[in-house]
Amino acid sequence: MSVLDWLDERLDLSGIRHFIAEKGVPVHTQKIWYYLGGMTLFLFGVQVSTGILLLLYYRPSATEAYESVQFVVTQVQFGWLIRNIHSWSANLLVALAFAHFFSVFFLKSYRKPRELTWVTGVLLLFLMLGFGFSGYLLPWNELSFFATKVGTGIAGAVPFIGHFTLRLLRGGDDVTGATLSRFYGLHVAVLPMLTTALVALHLLFVQRQGMSVPIKIEKRLKPGERLPQMPFFPNYILRDVLAWYVVIAVLVVLAAFYPWELGKKADPFAVVPAGIRPEWYFLATFHTLKLLPSHLLGFEGERVGVVGFGLVAVLLVLVPFLDRRASRGESSRAFTVLAVLGLVYLVSFTIIGHYAE
Amino acid sequence: MALTDKPPLSAGAAAPFDRRSFLDALLTVGFVSSAVAIAYPVGRYLIPPASGEPATESAVAGRAGALRPNSAAIFKFGSKPGIVVRTADGDVRAFSAVCTHLDCTVQFKTDTSQFWCACHNGIYDLGGNVVSGPPPRGLEKFVVNIRGEGDEAEIVASRA
Amino acid sequence: MCPPNTEERNARNARNAMHLCGLCVLAFCLVAERPVLAQTPPSANNCQTCHQTQQDPRIAAPAALFSQPDVHRESGFACADCHGGDPAATERARAHDAARGFKGKPSGEALVATCVRCHSDAAFMRRFAPKQRVDQGAEYATSMHGQQLAKGDKNVATCASCHGAHGIRRVSDAKSPVFPTNVANTCAACHADTKRMGAYQLPDGSPLPTHQLADYQKGVHYTALTKGNDLSAPTCNDCHGNHGAVPPGVGSIANVCGTCHAVFAQKFATSVHKDLFDKGCVECHSNHAVLKPSDAMLGSAGPGVCAPCHSAEDKGDRGTAAGEMMRAEIERLKTGIEQSDALISRVRNAGIEVTDQQLALREAATQLTLARTEMHAFEPTQIVPIIAEGMKIVAAVDVAGQNGVSELRYRRTGLAASLGAILIFVVGLGLKVRQIDRRQHGRPPDTD
Repeated sequence: MSVLDWLDERLDLSGIRHFIAEKGVPVHTQKIWYYLGGMTLFLFGVQVSTGILLLLYYRPSATEAYESVQFVVTQVQFGWLIRNIHSWSANLLVALAFAHFFSVFFLKSYRKPRELTWVTGVLLLFLMLGFGFSGYLLPWNELSFFATKVGTGIAGAVPFIGHFTLRLLRGGDDVTGATLSRFYGLHVAVLPMLTTALVALHLLFVQRQGMSVPIKIEKRLKPGERLPQMPFFPNYILRDVLAWYVVIAVLVVLAAFYPWELGKKADPFAVVPAGIRPEWYFLATFHTLKLLPSHLLGFEGERVGVVGFGLVAVLLVLVPFLDRRASRGESSRAFTVLAVLGLVYLVSFTIIGHYAE
Repeated sequence: MALTDKPPLSAGAAAPFDRRSFLDALLTVGFVSSAVAIAYPVGRYLIPPASGEPATESAVAGRAGALRPNSAAIFKFGSKPGIVVRTADGDVRAFSAVCTHLDCTVQFKTDTSQFWCACHNGIYDLGGNVVSGPPPRGLEKFVVNIRGEGDEAEIVASRA
Repeated sequence: MCPPNTEERNARNARNAMHLCGLCVLAFCLVAERPVLAQTPPSANNCQTCHQTQQDPRIAAPAALFSQPDVHRESGFACADCHGGDPAATERARAHDAARGFKGKPSGEALVATCVRCHSDAAFMRRFAPKQRVDQGAEYATSMHGQQLAKGDKNVATCASCHGAHGIRRVSDAKSPVFPTNVANTCAACHADTKRMGAYQLPDGSPLPTHQLADYQKGVHYTALTKGNDLSAPTCNDCHGNHGAVPPGVGSIANVCGTCHAVFAQKFATSVHKDLFDKGCVECHSNHAVLKPSDAMLGSAGPGVCAPCHSAEDKGDRGTAAGEMMRAEIERLKTGIEQSDALISRVRNAGIEVTDQQLALREAATQLTLARTEMHAFEPTQIVPIIAEGMKIVAAVDVAGQNGVSELRYRRTGLAASLGAILIFVVGLGLKVRQIDRRQHGRPPDTD
């Protein structure tokens, strides 16, 4: 008797077994994009595992944080590897999350009946950015300290609730040890909790509804015709694992050739180093805010920018409800153009922001 | 042929069975080695390192039994030198060994029972206070605790 | 209502009594040359009450000052104890009566005598400040100021010029003109005044310089005193003397600097320059504008201070060669330490433990400081072993640094090996997927 049979006797796994046996993934020319979601999830798993390992040695206080990271990297066996993987995987995670987001955006997979999947997905994207922002401060080095100072300062530009938000984020008026404690709590408890809930929902919806097929391909189907299906288990899942291993390989190469530096310990009273800027995934928005004139339409430029980005975020969440044509199963050129514009904007402004002084 | 009804094998062609088992073997080897490559570092990571914890706030200054009265020893406090001294009365004290004048490392003179900096003749007393010479301030004083008992008792110096 | 004759008798009695009081007071004043004991507060100090109400600021100011923190007043002394006169008197004539000892405003030698009267009396001073010295008067007589005063020059500083006369604060009081941070400004009040100093000349006939304060403020001693809060840093009196103020003689400059910079003075005393230098330490380091020394000062090239005597072009000059050699050695160690530091910083940043190396580099830096001290013996061969010791440490650190670099490379190799394992698995998995597809469909699957 196998283990599965033993469990089956007690828990009745027939539903699950049937589901796994029957579950299929449609086969068509665009199916390569299907793997991005799983890869993002895998990287999240890597982050949780390496994060928990780092938790065993990290100390979230202004006097000890930097030293504890230094300790992990220099004294703990393979600490340098765990830390490097965590730092690089964070960047890859955000990159893949964006890739997954854009692929869904382009392929209009958000259309009816998958609106909720999209909503949970966009919220997850924001959560990943939150992870990146909160985690960046934790080593408490010069770069991260000042980047946080600038970033939370921008949060203060939100109208009405700006100052309150700034104080809430910083745990006070300035970036101090209190900020570090808060960001630590956010990074290891609050955000993981929210992410777990949303990921569970996101996956539940995907499993219930199956994979979406691009409109163009769907339209070519004759009534009653179904696309050929690939069995989820073992065909698709093995391909998924393959993709994950490729990601591991990329991580290993990055950790080997571009190890993450310790930097200098943060000194709150030091002068802000020239050219301070946030991590690459915030560069586009950061640079946009820098380019805005000091006054626009009678309001402070930065404030207009922040409100603008807030509006864009809300609109993004609402895309499935705004794209009527896609919901009807028709090709939606307008939203494709929007997606292209969005992608071009993000990529170009990230590059400009990187090379600007 | 009565002995076997298997189709004759053509020379040089591998049977599908062999290829499959080769592939499975390759997969197993690959999986196991990559799993080891992942599990091994994680396992070693979990083992506590020799130095215990980051030495920001405290450091071990030596064994209590090894320090004779009216003698001192240099120890490592983070990346800077410290000096631990046992006075003639048996009292154990620890200070930063970084001279406050130009960062030279001070030493202990047993004849005068004072700390002396060889660079420009700065002299500190057993309380770390400046007695004479160029140092503008006294030596940073550490809090001393003895951990353990008997021969292996350790002197632990911590930042005040 | 008293009968007239009683009134007359009372008035007469009162007048008699007053006269008697006055006689007694007068007698007491005449007899007692010493000041009133501290236990008896000046019951009648009409000097102050009268002077404070005067319009003329020259008369009112001293009285006002005296009522502010003043060490003499706080010890129980009053106007009459220095100026004489009758403190109980209410009219000017009586109060200022010379017969009652009134001296007016003393100046010059009279002023010095007024102060010295008490301050050179050991038994007397013991009652108020037992530790205080009682030879200031004698010292002053040996000073330039004292000598000039003896010759009849009234333009020189006396006790009151530096300590004040009224509102005298203790030397330890931060507002005192002779508190360490204030001394230079007090001296400069006269010595930076070109008009005043114009009347004097140096022994060789050249005019007295007036830029000493400006020079001193450029130097390290001034910075240490005013910004470093190091009250042990020297100001005018530490080198020139307190009361016996005279510029240090030619032979004694090294001794003067050597009171604090003992090690350098010791080394210098063994050197060839000891008997050659007119002005000892000042030849290279200046007397007032003592700037932070740098390695660039060593040698004949560029800003090197050896150049005035040891020409850079003269290849046969042993001094030039010695200077160059010592400079080269020191630079060698300095560069060595910098490079080692850069190496281990790089390695540390990448994640290797280097606190032992950081400690060792501190020892190397100590050797560098020792070399710079030894240099003052001006004997290159004495520097060589110190530098060698330092370079040995640097070499050891470099080895450790290279080990760190090797460790980094080793990590890279290890990761490459893991990559190999991962790639084998990826390839195997890829083939397996293809195999499974083939098995299921009986034909090659769709391209991925």
